[in-house]
Amino acid sequence: MTATTESQAQAVLIPTARRRGFWSSVRTLVRRAPLSAFWGVIAALIVAMAITAPAIAPYPPLKSDFRAMTKPPTEKHWMGTDQIGRDTLSRVIYGSRTSLTVALGAVLFGTTVGALWGLACGYFGGRFDMASQRLIEFLQSFPDLILAMAIAMALGGGMTTVIIAIAITRIPFGGRVIRSVVLSLKEMQYVEAARGIGAGHVRMMLRHILPQCVAPYLILATTHLGVAIVIEASLGFLGVGIPPPTPTWGNMLADSLNAGLVPPWWLVLFPGAAITITVLAFNLLGDGIRDLLDPRLRGSV
Amino acid sequence: MYSYIARRLVFGALTVIGVSIMVFVIMRVLPGDPLVAIFGPEGFTKLTDAQREGYLRELGLSDPLWLQYLHWVQDIVRGEFGHSFFRSESVADMLLRRGPLTAEIALLSVVLSWIVGIPVAIISALKPNTAADNTARFLSILFLAVPGFWIGMLIVLALLFWFGYRAPMTGASLFTDPWSNLQLVIGPAVVLGLGQAAYIARMGRSSLLEVIREDYVRTARAKGLNGRLVIAWHALPNALLPVITLSGVLMGLVLAGSIPVERAFATPGLGFAMFIAVNERDIFVMQNLVFLYAAVFVLLNIVIDLTIAFLDPRIRLR
Repeated sequence: MTATTESQAQAVLIPTARRRGFWSSVRTLVRRAPLSAFWGVIAALIVAMAITAPAIAPYPPLKSDFRAMTKPPTEKHWMGTDQIGRDTLSRVIYGSRTSLTVALGAVLFGTTVGALWGLACGYFGGRFDMASQRLIEFLQSFPDLILAMAIAMALGGGMTTVIIAIAITRIPFGGRVIRSVVLSLKEMQYVEAARGIGAGHVRMMLRHILPQCVAPYLILATTHLGVAIVIEASLGFLGVGIPPPTPTWGNMLADSLNAGLVPPWWLVLFPGAAITITVLAFNLLGDGIRDLLDPRLRGSV
Repeated sequence: MYSYIARRLVFGALTVIGVSIMVFVIMRVLPGDPLVAIFGPEGFTKLTDAQREGYLRELGLSDPLWLQYLHWVQDIVRGEFGHSFFRSESVADMLLRRGPLTAEIALLSVVLSWIVGIPVAIISALKPNTAADNTARFLSILFLAVPGFWIGMLIVLALLFWFGYRAPMTGASLFTDPWSNLQLVIGPAVVLGLGQAAYIARMGRSSLLEVIREDYVRTARAKGLNGRLVIAWHALPNALLPVITLSGVLMGLVLAGSIPVERAFATPGLGFAMFIAVNERDIFVMQNLVFLYAAVFVLLNIVIDLTIAFLDPRIRLR
């Protein structure tokens, strides 16, 4: 694992010859990786669904219809209803909101903290770096989900707690990767030149080293979105996620097990399919972005 | 080699100590008041001051934090791992009763992941960009995205729906009742195994593709060795080294993944116990189980590292 991240970091160092605009990048993505572009569109649709949830959901997600409880899919309720008559389709649509908010929040927060920490470690080195590496090692000794469970349980349920819990599990990855990028950047001539002119620590870090870390940072963030979504769903499924009335995909799957001895199939199938399609879309989009920003990493894990 | 082993073991021991401190901080210091963690914010406000005092003293929570930590370490060293707040069963008993099932699941899933993942990797790498390769890659991308517990739920549902079959609900030992035991273990093991197999196939493919391009493989071919023998004898052993390391990293996925997957299959293993502990807010059980899982993860990775060192002459002969 370490070996691959390190070689990734090395590879990213090749300076990009010219800066591309956003639309030109999109065009390149479509031409070079049509599959990733296709899933990118799906990802965009899911984001749009989350934003416009109140407009497109056929029913309010918390409204019970007591005349239609635990009903299989019909024309009125395309994905059926749960045991207290809430519309599954609406809840799946609203679930995308929680899922994406948590995943984006956790990844941005976790990766950013990790990246800044890694930047400081790589730049200053010495004892600070040594101590930090040990700490990161301790953090990585926990399987992701177990660490997130423990933190979420200790802090009590809620959206912020879940975001923090997942973010903490993302910190080591940001720290490791950015640190090794910075370590090799430090040896580059232009950095030495800047030091020669007499640039201070802050200017060196922010003006000269940080911009080169943007590409690996983006790659990291997109590849971890999918993981964050799965962890959020698992936490919800295990009952340590965002507390019940809020519709989340994990909560819906957990609820389906409480619907009786045999969970109704529509309550299991649709939320899980939503998780899978979302994670698939973000993973493949991430692969595409990685190939685009850094062709040398094509096909690596 | 010996100094390498010694260094690895010392670092491993330090890591376990660091992990125990981290668990203690998360479970005992973060919640502020442990009683809040046990009773929940609402239940906590309903307790009288005398009750709070009583509970704290009874549970040894009124001691200073460092003393509490030392008591806990003492408990671990004695192999007791403390008691559940809600049941009479000690965590050690729970481990003995439920542990074997989860261990079996983990072991079986690793074996399955190799049986499935390696052949897929070989087929993919030997015929890159063919229909077989593309199918294999698509499947592995798919299995990287599907949450294991959801597949578990679907399997349980499908078996029930079409065959009216349901795995036994109570624990069964491998030695006294192997047939029930297998029925309990096979579902979670398949789900977790497929999840790992996706990673292994992906990593194995790229690692094999790299090795095949090496000079010594070309030499083996040039001297007229049969193509399959070249792969099996020359390319594969080197290509598998990173896959073994990956398998160690994936143990985290298995250990953590077994919690929701056991919940989905209602398997009475350790993962299910963790699910119960979390929902009962049983911080004592949780604290010990989280520590154990992390310690086992660290230990397994040491074993993997030493295996790699043994298999790789570049490290062995240093």
